[in-house]
Order: sequence, then structure tokens, then C-alpha cells
Amino acid sequence: MTINLIDGEKFAHMLIEGANNLSNNSKKIDALNVFPVPDGDTGTNMNLTITSGVKEVKGQKTDHVGKVAGTFAKGLLMGARGNSGVILSQLFRGFSKSVEGKETLTAKDLSKAFEYGVDMAYKAVMKPVEGTILTVAKDSAKKAVEFAKSNDNPVELMEAVVKEAKASLKRTPDLLPVLKEVGVVDSGGQGLLTIYEGFLAVLKGEKIVDLIQQEPSMNELVQVEHHQSMQAHLSIEDLEFGYCTEVMIKFEDEKVKENPFTEEAFRDTLSQYGDSLLVVSDEDLLKVHIHAEYPGNVITEAQKFGSLVNVKIENMREQHSSILELEQAANASASSKKNEKTEYAIITVSMGEGIANLFKGLGAKKVIAGGQTMNPSTEDFVKAMEEANADKIILLPNNSNIVMAAEQAASVSDAEVIVVPSKSVPQGLAALLAFNPADSLEANKEGMLESLASVKTGEVTYAVRDTSLNGVQIKKGDFMGIFEKDIVTTLPNVQEVAKDLLYKMVDEDSEIVTIIFGEDRTQKEAEELIEYLEEHFEDIDVEIHQGNQPLYSYIVSVE
Amino acid sequence: MTIEMKTNYGKIDVSKEVVAVIAGGAAIDCYGIVGMASQKQLKDGITDLLGKENLGRGVVIRELEDEEIHIDMYIIVSYGTKISEVAHNVQSKVKYQLEKMLGLKVNSVNIFVQGVRVINP
Repeated sequence: MTINLIDGEKFAHMLIEGANNLSNNSKKIDALNVFPVPDGDTGTNMNLTITSGVKEVKGQKTDHVGKVAGTFAKGLLMGARGNSGVILSQLFRGFSKSVEGKETLTAKDLSKAFEYGVDMAYKAVMKPVEGTILTVAKDSAKKAVEFAKSNDNPVELMEAVVKEAKASLKRTPDLLPVLKEVGVVDSGGQGLLTIYEGFLAVLKGEKIVDLIQQEPSMNELVQVEHHQSMQAHLSIEDLEFGYCTEVMIKFEDEKVKENPFTEEAFRDTLSQYGDSLLVVSDEDLLKVHIHAEYPGNVITEAQKFGSLVNVKIENMREQHSSILELEQAANASASSKKNEKTEYAIITVSMGEGIANLFKGLGAKKVIAGGQTMNPSTEDFVKAMEEANADKIILLPNNSNIVMAAEQAASVSDAEVIVVPSKSVPQGLAALLAFNPADSLEANKEGMLESLASVKTGEVTYAVRDTSLNGVQIKKGDFMGIFEKDIVTTLPNVQEVAKDLLYKMVDEDSEIVTIIFGEDRTQKEAEELIEYLEEHFEDIDVEIHQGNQPLYSYIVSVE
Repeated sequence: MTIEMKTNYGKIDVSKEVVAVIAGGAAIDCYGIVGMASQKQLKDGITDLLGKENLGRGVVIRELEDEEIHIDMYIIVSYGTKISEVAHNVQSKVKYQLEKMLGLKVNSVNIFVQGVRVINP
């Protein structure tokens, strides 16, 4: 039987089915929500809105389409939630105005009502954003009007409307960049389509179940989850669950027999391990996406139902580290293994294994690799402090460029932290020697500062390009002797530079000279310097250490 | 007249005008808003005369001590919408947009509904 007229009862039924269909799909629509605010509530909001409308309709028994539509619109208005909810209420406000006073609807009436609803909806906004529910409503209404000119079958009309809505929805990413970026279609538009599909199902006399909405693909959902989780973590808090884990399982009959699978129960089980959980399954395959701290548990749970087909685990902290440096750091190391708790911990920075060992030998708990040209970040400090696990922490940055990062890190730590701004390795060593675990943090800082001030630092390194400094011409590849901040000598021969530098640094008050030679120098070459010093100066002790540091052939301290 | 944010490398100053424009832009993206109500008649009047787009209209940024930032938005809504919901949508959109674009945390977004426009299509 073909219907040419829609009566009030049918219309009410359409509304109810539309609402049911929306309600069934609201979770999926939530997942698509990235605009205007990616808070994942579009489906829920639209569902609440339309439910409020339907409640009014159910409460009023009438066979008059105009009255049904009016009641529905009123219910929508009262219950409008969220942006798409308000738009939906507006669409049907226009719709109901158009059919006011009509007892039944022809195809033409229906198309006009759609058009009027869109007009109304567009009037209530200053700057309509295209690529949203508005666009989907507009495109499908246009289609309806065109269709009604040549065909007066409302069922076919509705079919055309749904088809056009679907096509329009597909186009939304081209109109709204944020959708394209995330790779989804508009959530509100999807909601409207779902409602229209409900309408169509009733007109065709089908059950809604036959019309199961094409599910958004796993990939789509994963993208949305990531987008949301990034947004949330950027602003609100740090990452609680560090690994993006995807597992694909092929169901095995034996295992499933023993351990019957239901998506819901499985979801419950997994939810304790992390968030951004997605579970999709068909007869053969089970796909899981979750952000978990312990991916192993997730895999074990999934494996109960079958065999592993594919596993992908990504460390999200690494991925986000550039954006989330600080927030993450506090958490990232929380779960990593901790050192034994101590009262004091000294954390220092150096390049070269030899120097690191030197610091450790003198009692530094942690040595962060870094220095000139390779400054450690605040995050590195925070991590080291967490791992050091102490109540009181002293940071020795050993480079003027790193002092800032150390201070920044000190301000975010829970422990009592002081930064002793050592600007070179010798200063750091001197400060470390002055450390006394029996003293208070403040007293130590004072002592260390005093000690590092008494040390003169010299460095021998090579020029990476031709340059001229203070009137001195320096050629690429030449060696330079740097005394504190100034280049005091430059020659092609490294040994000569070192000797020259030492000669300028040592004076009659000097007692101890410490030479740390780099990875490009040998013990023998360093000993040559001792001979030189002993030749020219009396009464000084010289110590040499193998530092293995790159870039600097020698690091010299004189005190 | 600026809002200051500190980072590792130094500070970032964002003029209130910029914050107002972003907030205003976010607001008129919201469904149900048909206009903004000017609070600075003279300034907005002149901008109108010059025919410039004036997104900062009807937005007042207040910065209290303790770096608290409050935004007052004077809006005109469409008749027949659920006004409380429209206002709420504006609040969340403005807050989100400022956080996303400027990394700016806003303490409050206060909505003043200054007018309602009746539209008959």
C-alpha cells in the first residue's frame, strides 16, 4: 500500500522512531564530536533534546499533524541541550510553524516544512558555520523541495532526503577544517541523519533494527579518541595512561566456549586498565583500542578469547613530549623504578663518561648527560629528581645555559630543591666537594657557592668556523683556550694552546691544578702538561683525570 | 592592557583586544547568537562607520589581581531558542577556544543577554 498522506498518528510514530534511532546511536555520535568543543557530548545532548520532545508528543493524543508537530517543537525547545540540540529545536520550530493547522501531510507539505525549518534555523544565527548539522539540514531540505515538484509520494521523498543527508554529511569535512583534521564527519549532522532514517523506517513500515547505522570505523573512532585525549591532557592534567594499545584477536571456538564473549562485559573488564577504550567485534575478529599504563594486562585479557593477530603499542608520552613536556614529566617517571630513598641527592649534568664517573665518585646520585650544544630540558631534570627519590635535592647544572632549566625544574618538584648555579664542570666538582650531608640545605648552598667561586675554569676546544673575536682571528679547526668566558689564546696545536692557557691561569696563589682530558686526547698528552707545569711553577699539585668528554680537549680547573 | 603568560623562554604578552576578538569570534560561531551588544558605543561606532569587521564588540575582558581573567560577553539572542542553553554553549565555546588558541585559562565567562531578536522567516 502506498501512503500519500501522513496523518497525525503516523507522524507521531515517525518522531518516536527518529528519537529511538538517535538514542541507539548516541554513543557513536558522541564519539564524532569535535566541533565546536570536542567534549564528546553531541549524541547525548541531541538525545536528551529529542527525548524531551517525544515525551510531550506521547503525552498528547491527537490525530492532527500540526498539533503533534507543535507539541514536539515545544518539547524540543524546553529540553534543548548543547549546540546541536538548540539547532534541532529550531529546525523543528520552523517545521511545526509550516505545518500548523494541517491535519495531514502531503509530500509537498513535508518538503515545505523541511525548508521552512532550515530557514528558521539559519535566521537564528549570526554567522552560520557550514559543515555542521545546519548544512546537512539545508542540503536535504533543498533536495526535498526539488523532489516534491515531480513526485508526490512522501515515502520516496523521505528516501531522497535521507540519501541527500547522507551525501551532505560526507561532504562536511570539506567545509569544516577541524573535521578533516581529525578525519570524521560532523556529529550533529550524523545525529540529524539518524533521525531522518528513523522517519523513513516508519514510512516504509520497516523496523529500525533492519536499518542499523553504518558504524564509524575503528580508525575513525581511534582518531577521535586521540584528538579528545590530547585536548584534555593539554589543558587539564597529565597523561595517566601512557601506552596507546591496539590489539586484534581472532576468536577461537574453544576459548570462546570456555569463556563466552560479550562486548559489554569485556569492556567492563578492560575499563579498569585505562581510558579511551574502544571495543569492536564481529564473528571472527575482536579489535580493542585502549590507553593503558600496563598494556600487558590488556593483551592477556584479550587473549582469553582467541589468538593474537596484531598488536600495536605506542608510547604516548614520547609522542606528546614536545607538547606536554612539563606535565608529562611529573608523571612519566612516577611509575619507573625508583632509587632508594635518601635524605640528600645531588643531581648534576655533564658530558662524557669519565666526568660522569668522577661526579658519581664524589657522591652525585644522578648525572644527566648534557652540556654545551646539548642542553638537557627541564623535563630531564624533573625525571632525574623523581628517580633520585630524596627529600632534599641539590642541582648542579655545570653550564650557564642549563641553569634556567634547572631552576624551572626546581620550582615544580615536590621535594626541597636548591640550584647551585655552577657554570662549568670544575665549578660543579668544587661545589660537590664542599657538600656536607650533615648540614642543612641552606648551609650547603652557601658553602658550595663559596667553593665554586674559588675555582678558575679553563677549557680547550676547537673552532667550528672562521671567526674573529676581540680582534683575534680564529680559523676553523684551530684550538682555543677559554679562561672563564674569554678566549685567551688560539693556535693550531692543541698542546700549545693548553700550555698557554695554563700559563695564563696559574698564578702564585694557585695550589692545585686539575686537568680533565677529553675523548680526543690521551693520558700521555695530558702528562706532558704536568711536566710543563712543573717546569714553570713550583709548589703546585697537578691531578689528571680521563673525562671522555666530547668537544673539549681539556677542561682545567685551578684553585 | 595585556595579559601575560610566562614560559621557559620568556613571557608572552597578548593584548586584551586580541583576547576579545577571539572570544567574540567564538561566540558568534555559536548557534542562537544573532549579535553582540556594544559596550563601548564610541569605539564600536567608529569601527562600524569604517565598515570594519568588529569581532571584539560586546566583549569586555577584566583582569583582576592574582592573574584572574574574567570575560563579560554582551549578547543578543534569537527569539525561540532556549536562551539558557545558548548562553551555556557560548561559555563553553569561548573557554575552549581561548584555551586552544592562546593557552589562556579563563576564570569565568559571564554572559549578559542584552537583547532578543524576533525573527519571522
